[in-house]
Amino acid sequence: MNTTTAPSRIKVITGNAAAAIGAKLARPDVVAAYPITPQTEVIEQISTFHASGEMDCELITVEGENSAMNAVMAASLAGGRVFTASSSWGLVFMYDAVLAVAGARAPVVMVNVNRETPGIIAVSSGQQDMISTRDAGWIFLIAEDCQEVLDLVLQAYRLAEDHDIQLPVMVHYDGFFLSYLSEGVDIPEQETVDRFLSVLDDQPRRTALTPGQKLGVGSHGILGGYMELRHKHVTAMERSKDKFEEIDKEFAGIFGRPYGGQLEEYRTDDADIVLVGSGSMCGTIKSVIDDQREKGMRIGLVKIRMYRPFPHQALVAALKGKKGVGVVDRSLAFGFEGGPIYTELKAFETRLDGTQLISFIDGIANTDITKTNVEKMIQMTRDLADGKDVPEVTWVSYPEANTKGEK
Amino acid sequence: MAEKKQGRLTKVLDYLKHDDPFSKGVAFCPGCGLELLLRFIPRVLGNDIVITGTPSCSAPVLLGQNNQSWHTLSYFGTLMTGAAANATGLVRYYRKAGIDNTVVCFNGDGTANDIGFGNLSGAAERNEPFIYICYDNEGYMNTGIQKSGTTPFGATTTTTPYGSVHKGKNLRRMNLGLKMAMNKIPYTATATLSDLEDLAKKLLKAKEAKERGFCFLHVFAPCPTGWGADPADTIEICRRAVKTNYFPLWEAENGRIRMTKTVKKPKSVNTYTELMKKFHHMTEADMKVLQDDVEYEYCLLGGLSVLEAECQLPVSVKDQGDAS
Repeated sequence: MNTTTAPSRIKVITGNAAAAIGAKLARPDVVAAYPITPQTEVIEQISTFHASGEMDCELITVEGENSAMNAVMAASLAGGRVFTASSSWGLVFMYDAVLAVAGARAPVVMVNVNRETPGIIAVSSGQQDMISTRDAGWIFLIAEDCQEVLDLVLQAYRLAEDHDIQLPVMVHYDGFFLSYLSEGVDIPEQETVDRFLSVLDDQPRRTALTPGQKLGVGSHGILGGYMELRHKHVTAMERSKDKFEEIDKEFAGIFGRPYGGQLEEYRTDDADIVLVGSGSMCGTIKSVIDDQREKGMRIGLVKIRMYRPFPHQALVAALKGKKGVGVVDRSLAFGFEGGPIYTELKAFETRLDGTQLISFIDGIANTDITKTNVEKMIQMTRDLADGKDVPEVTWVSYPEANTKGEK
Repeated sequence: MAEKKQGRLTKVLDYLKHDDPFSKGVAFCPGCGLELLLRFIPRVLGNDIVITGTPSCSAPVLLGQNNQSWHTLSYFGTLMTGAAANATGLVRYYRKAGIDNTVVCFNGDGTANDIGFGNLSGAAERNEPFIYICYDNEGYMNTGIQKSGTTPFGATTTTTPYGSVHKGKNLRRMNLGLKMAMNKIPYTATATLSDLEDLAKKLLKAKEAKERGFCFLHVFAPCPTGWGADPADTIEICRRAVKTNYFPLWEAENGRIRMTKTVKKPKSVNTYTELMKKFHHMTEADMKVLQDDVEYEYCLLGGLSVLEAECQLPVSVKDQGDAS
């Protein structure tokens, strides 16, 4: 791989600023957004870029999230590159349009700053907003840190607007933990980003609604071809897995940051115990792994970067033959024994050659996934691998759930 | 008299400079006001408009059914919640890309006055450069005649049925056109299908005014099926709605209201309501409530038009651009 990396500069910025800068570097034609905690800084930053002329886009300061998604949907189907950002209740308020965007195969790119949704004052981190919209038909990518927020926004445009994909992409990152966290971010040069995205200009021009053209687009499904459209949607989603791997490799070549594609496999090669996680918790998990590796424990992490489509082939390949796997969920799946990602992985258990799975629920409703919590998860996963009696589901920060016999 | 009629007719036809982009037989009920309006718009404004439509009675005709289209216009199928936001997205991208456009955001009263009012209001505030047309058939007709915010007092719908306790809608209708004019947008007007020349003029004015920002047309469009009327009476219903001041014709530039048709001796509202079964159960007392409401709204309109003439709208408000 080409090791000469492009010139860059490192700034200490928040995850929200990283998202806004990523959007600016992608040069969208239209941005429409509405503020919501913890996303607000994203649109404040974009408004500042717009006001200073740094960002040459149509900025639509809408009266609600529903209009944000509807506006970018139409701008996208008219041929534009678009961006929006939301979180939690905002995502919920735009949900009808979120579905319509997917059905219309509009290559909308947005960031969703993950936040809880069970009550309106649930101003706390959690991935329930992501889980509640997981089968909207969007590609879901999840960032671990501020750098990855910026990088994933750029990768998202390549994926969304790729001629073979044509699907909306939502980049998720943990509210509070990443939205307001300041850390060093390598901000690429505009011309490097332009070069990375220029591939999109060379592909066949996608269908766009232009005045005078005999064309209908938008949110209505046509009954006659509906089944066909849905099947094409599913197959395009499936294609996006390999495409994302390709894009990630190319990105690494240009920007010097390899992420691993659908999954990042951290010290898993010789590991017999593996945790599966996503988002900001992965930094903590890596840190614990590093500590325990020094004590000779063979543990690793599989970080989910692409959550929709569900990367089951990559997960099976990464986890097959491991003794014990603990899946950490920051959200709930009702009626199942375990968190949502755990439950989905369970569907492929028979392909794992006897790998045992265990579910951890943590990091919801303002609880922090601490190093102590991670150590506890690793110990329990090891106990599982050693054949000890371990509960299938553990609410790590709420022991009452485990002692009362509740799952 | 016959000669005069002929003269008027020719004048309306003069406005129809463009082809009818719709096929001859479409899936509307006989006497549908929406269909007449929908065919009229592109004949006046041109076939190069981009029209948006919601899931509604207009949807099967605008988007087509079973892979077959009924027209040759550029079309955007919106959600009811976000029609004006969709139109906003279109015009903003066209502006960025330097593409000339006339976007017509075409919706019923359910979308305009009720479920999609938030984004209509937002588009008005931001003075988005497109034409929003509401065909007001005073209810949710496509789902089977339910009450909307513009359903008039007394009218029966399937959610305000006639019962032993409750007898039709016990609330007044909202004045959608007036509340949009109060936003001081470049152009607001009411129109209906009995006064086609007036309608055509207002469409052309809107096309010109949308260069300065948001335009709103409130068009009274009867639904014979939903209102229990003879399909042959559609135009007569419109005519009587105007003659009773039930639906007065006016326009407002930057909020300044001007009557485009003044009825010298308005008829009582029951000459209008008698054409429709939805009002047939109403007692004299009920009818007086409706009559009083019509007179109140008309009086308010007149008062506002006088006040607007007296109060100078600041130049900065008149010449506002869109917030971008």
